[in-house]
Amino acid sequence: MSFDLSLIAEALPKMLVGIGLTFQLLILSAILGLILAIGLMLMRISGKWYLSWPAQVYIYVFRGTPILVQIFIVYYGFPQLDFIRDSFLWPIFRDPFGCAIVALTLNTGAYVSEILRGGVLGVDRGVLEAGEALGLSKPQRFIYLTTPIATRLALPAYGNDIISLLKSTALASTITLMDMTGIARTIVAQTYAPYEIFISLAIIYMILTFFIQKLLARIERYLGRYAEREG
Amino acid sequence: MEVLTGWWDDFFWGSVVVLKVFLASLVLMVLFGLVGAAAKLSNNRIAQKIAGAYTVIFRGTPEILVILLLYFGSAITLTAIAQIFDPEVKFLDVPPFWAGTIAIALIVGSYATETFRGAFLGVKPGSIEAARALGMSNLQTFIYVRIPEMWRLALPAFGNHMLSLIKDTALISIIGLNETLFVAKQAIGSTGKPFTMYIVVGLIYLGFSTVITLTVMALERYGQRTLRTGT
Repeated sequence: MSFDLSLIAEALPKMLVGIGLTFQLLILSAILGLILAIGLMLMRISGKWYLSWPAQVYIYVFRGTPILVQIFIVYYGFPQLDFIRDSFLWPIFRDPFGCAIVALTLNTGAYVSEILRGGVLGVDRGVLEAGEALGLSKPQRFIYLTTPIATRLALPAYGNDIISLLKSTALASTITLMDMTGIARTIVAQTYAPYEIFISLAIIYMILTFFIQKLLARIERYLGRYAEREG
Repeated sequence: MEVLTGWWDDFFWGSVVVLKVFLASLVLMVLFGLVGAAAKLSNNRIAQKIAGAYTVIFRGTPEILVILLLYFGSAITLTAIAQIFDPEVKFLDVPPFWAGTIAIALIVGSYATETFRGAFLGVKPGSIEAARALGMSNLQTFIYVRIPEMWRLALPAFGNHMLSLIKDTALISIIGLNETLFVAKQAIGSTGKPFTMYIVVGLIYLGFSTVITLTVMALERYGQRTLRTGT
């Protein structure tokens, strides 16, 4: 047993082929998940029980079960249901990529909606009262006051969720997708060199995490540019 | 529901495995978290660096990769060692139970180091000065002042760590641990009802998550019982 560097040199380019798929999974489900999360958050803070209850149940279910189970239900489970097979959505659920996007979106949406809600609830009441005194309507206050401040408050936690999402994309390899992890597992099955392959892949993920953190820190600084001057 | 006939006991034993993994990894997670927090809070530069690296590595690596690396890595190492003594040995592995338990405890423990560190820093300096004034030793201060104050601060985040542990258990089915997701796979093989079986798994995990959430809520109330009268 030795650490074979030539094996890494050979495997790295192969694994990096999968980085495109990893990014597709990450970016698509992050965007769709954010849209879902905004909807869920608005339902929760609407103050109407018939909107806030379903959102709460949704969040509870998706945060209370493992993402792997959610992926399996969508990929292996849905084809058992006739109404899904007959529906126009079938092309999505027949395709492992579509299933991974659906499962990751549904999962991250639940987490992100709670983060956004925390941001909205964290907005200083005084600011909203000032807006009211200035004669801004409720939607105006939400768009011009709540949204920018809440975004700033929610961003650090949102960044952590994006990193979780990146890590969750590796689970797409369990439903036959050839993302970086999927390719690495195939290489390990052929070469039986788990240390070399998995450690170098872990380093790739760490580098990606590092860049995501840097990017988010930059956005955070940009959004906080007014707050900094005050302090 | 009839399709589940004959599978109830399998799901029950699968749940017992989930519970065992959870309890074992909980103990290890607290241990890793406390040791890591102690290192981060110590004055020793090297200990700080090591604990910092521990958090960075496990925050940036997908859980599934850690599990696969620990399981297959330990297997080839063990096999290589065993072959020194007995060349007949073909394959020797650490049981998936322990490889998986250690893997998820390491992952969640890396987050717990930050939780514990923050909680220890959150202990009011006044409390510690008061303990000193009362003539308590360092050890007594730690046991009677720091610990009771820090666990209250750590509890909300610690609750989330416990939920991560229980959900990460599902990932260990990938290396062949016979927990509920693994049971479901077998059940699907003979019944052809993937949706039903995976929903059952989802409900089992939802049950575990609910129990953990309720326990944490009760502990939070218990932790604050002395605060309520104080103010």
